[in-house]
Amino acid sequence: MTAVEPHAAGGTRDQLVDTLAALGSMPAEHGGVPAIRVPLEALEQATQTAVSTPGVRLADMFAADDDVTVLRLVWACEADEPGFIVTETQIGGAEYPPLSGIAPAAFVEECEIYEQFGIRPAGGKPLNRLMRPPHAGAGPPTLGHGPAQPPEEVHAPHAVGGQAFEFPFGPVRQAGVESLYYGLVTSGEEVVDLYLFTWHKHRGVEWRLRGRTVPEAIFLAERAEGLSAVAVGWALAAAAEAAAGVTPPPAAARTRAVALELERLYNHAAATAALGQATGLSVGQAAAEIALERLLRVNAAAFGHRYLFGVIEPGGVSRAPDAEVLRRELPGAYDELRRTADALLRTNSFVDRLEACGILTAEQARRLGLVGPVARATGLATDARLAVAGAGAPYAGHGVNVVTAASGDVLGRFQVMLGEAAESVRLITRFLNEGTAAECVPLPVGAGTGLGWAESPRGEALAWVALDAGGRITRARLRPGSARNWRGFDDACRSRNVFTDIPIIEASFWLTVAGMAR
Amino acid sequence: MRPGPAEAVAAAGLREQIAAQFGRSLHIRTLDTGSCAACEQEIRLLAAPHYDLHRLGFFFTPAPRHADLLLVTGPMVRAFEVAARKTYEAMPRPKVVVATGACALGGVYQSDPFVHGEVDAVLPVDVWIPGCPPSPLALLQGLGVAVGRLAEKTPGLTFIDGGGA
Amino acid sequence: MPLWFARGLRRGVVTTRYPARSDPSAASLPTPPAFRPRQLTLRTVDRMVAECPGTALSRVAETLVFDVGACTACGRCARVAPDAVAPSGEFELASTARPALIKLIPIRGGER
Repeated sequence: MTAVEPHAAGGTRDQLVDTLAALGSMPAEHGGVPAIRVPLEALEQATQTAVSTPGVRLADMFAADDDVTVLRLVWACEADEPGFIVTETQIGGAEYPPLSGIAPAAFVEECEIYEQFGIRPAGGKPLNRLMRPPHAGAGPPTLGHGPAQPPEEVHAPHAVGGQAFEFPFGPVRQAGVESLYYGLVTSGEEVVDLYLFTWHKHRGVEWRLRGRTVPEAIFLAERAEGLSAVAVGWALAAAAEAAAGVTPPPAAARTRAVALELERLYNHAAATAALGQATGLSVGQAAAEIALERLLRVNAAAFGHRYLFGVIEPGGVSRAPDAEVLRRELPGAYDELRRTADALLRTNSFVDRLEACGILTAEQARRLGLVGPVARATGLATDARLAVAGAGAPYAGHGVNVVTAASGDVLGRFQVMLGEAAESVRLITRFLNEGTAAECVPLPVGAGTGLGWAESPRGEALAWVALDAGGRITRARLRPGSARNWRGFDDACRSRNVFTDIPIIEASFWLTVAGMAR
Repeated sequence: MRPGPAEAVAAAGLREQIAAQFGRSLHIRTLDTGSCAACEQEIRLLAAPHYDLHRLGFFFTPAPRHADLLLVTGPMVRAFEVAARKTYEAMPRPKVVVATGACALGGVYQSDPFVHGEVDAVLPVDVWIPGCPPSPLALLQGLGVAVGRLAEKTPGLTFIDGGGA
Repeated sequence: MPLWFARGLRRGVVTTRYPARSDPSAASLPTPPAFRPRQLTLRTVDRMVAECPGTALSRVAETLVFDVGACTACGRCARVAPDAVAPSGEFELASTARPALIKLIPIRGGER
């Protein structure tokens, strides 16, 4: 495990903006994020250019139906001055160039866009079902025109020497975990393939956000993925602030960061407990749960809610933490986690289960556009807190130590989480010393679009919003970290693991189904 | 599926039966119909050292066949309805259904093409536990009420500050 | 394993005595609001109803209808009317009858 400062890897954001703008039209800018119009005929080349630029990652792809369907790609530039670029392409017909061949990180989004808007990549490559249940008939409404045919669904080849069989598992699983339906393909013990369905939990949050005001939307966005309430709420608030052209006061931004780091801490404690449970170490699990409960009580004492709901508001925050309580209670709660983790790492039967389990390579993480501890454990130093402006702003003066590992296995992910927890405590102390406040700037009502982001415990959470003249949402895009990372779960489970490794790998990813099925 | 007067009489008898049969040992099956995952985290903490539901004779079970009580979270996503009904029907009688959290009680989502908006729309609920999410203490109180071990407080609460008008 | 055994002994018991005894951690839990009828005016109530992000609040003539079951204890109504709303402090809210969670609060403060 190493704590590294991010380093320039060549290819600056400005250069990429210039190259892309040459293919299309001059960029507009919303809150520090260039938005470049790329015509349909140049989309493939633009994608190819971005993908082959070092330090650039496809962060999201989504569509919106204005008068014509518009396809937006969000690129994260992680070299030099980290930030984002958005490209916008009008899709006149039913097809657009196949982008997942160039950028495999786009495949899940291509499936989603087909289900929601009825447009698909040219070439007829099969797409998977994501959000619409197979038995629904007409099904729930889509965000756009909807597909002409249902998606075809194809998964990895099933045979292992002709001997593999497939069984579906879930959606009702063991007690106290979210519903999740997956198809497990196995030749006996080994995991040959694992594919996930989340349509049974899909709540249509993006559909429901249309016509809402920004405060109403934040209430729902917090509850899209409740274990990342601060991150997703912050991303959406920041998107609305970018659309309105305002930034929260620095003290309020620091308050948001304190809440976000507290969220990171309790999630990492919960992941530790889940690892203890998955490896059958009840005592280790219980010890981590003691730390988790203490951290949740710190949240309640400092911010009035165990899960930090209700802190983020458009333009700022509704409450400031009780700094005295936080300074007094946090060190003991964190210490509980640290001592438990130290004991776990000295327990051979635990470490043996984690080592070489669920391996992802840096190449796989890069290809799929993974984020968060999952990506950092493969060696990629990707962290949304490094982005200048937006949610990076309160972190800018403090130099976030991005924690990475090299092994890409469960142990690496666990070590990254522990390193991040220590870093969170350090950052909280610094933010409290600099001062926090319950402040808000009002958002001027008016039309606009904007991109927002925050580093959730499970990776970068993105949001994009389009507001009408009355300040109501015409299109909101929510992309929690889980929506990026579940696609890596298949690969991680497939790398020479057995059934009993699956819960261990799931714990090390520490995603939520809700974050995918929003 | 709200109970009418005849059902209310039957329900009172059932509650006595439940107190007699479940008062000392109860197996709980959880059911997520579309929650944000925060309710699940609080439910998992019931087995954690701070709360330890085992000391009260409550246990989680992975199988609906072994369950006495169904602890339901989420706004009942329509696509989940089949799985929800199958889980409920797989439980032998007598059984108790507890809807927990503001989503399950209709407070966050309204009935629309994606969700029913409340668990009541699909399953016969016996006990409702408010909260967003309900804390483990609130869940323990709710479970105590569900097995007749604790008297409920809500009928006597007015939510008028100062007690009276 | 001696490591874990010793840790466990040193750690001691953290288990709550609830429900046999009250638990001090309950004091920092968010709770649904309690309302002051004399501070409630029709206009204040309408503003609170508009601010409530869920379905917990509505008004029927001169009564505030408060659905405790729908309440997420978000506190927005209290921010609208801090004189009229205080935290109830109640977290033991389970009910065997859904209607028992609907509370009627008289609006006694008049129009404004």
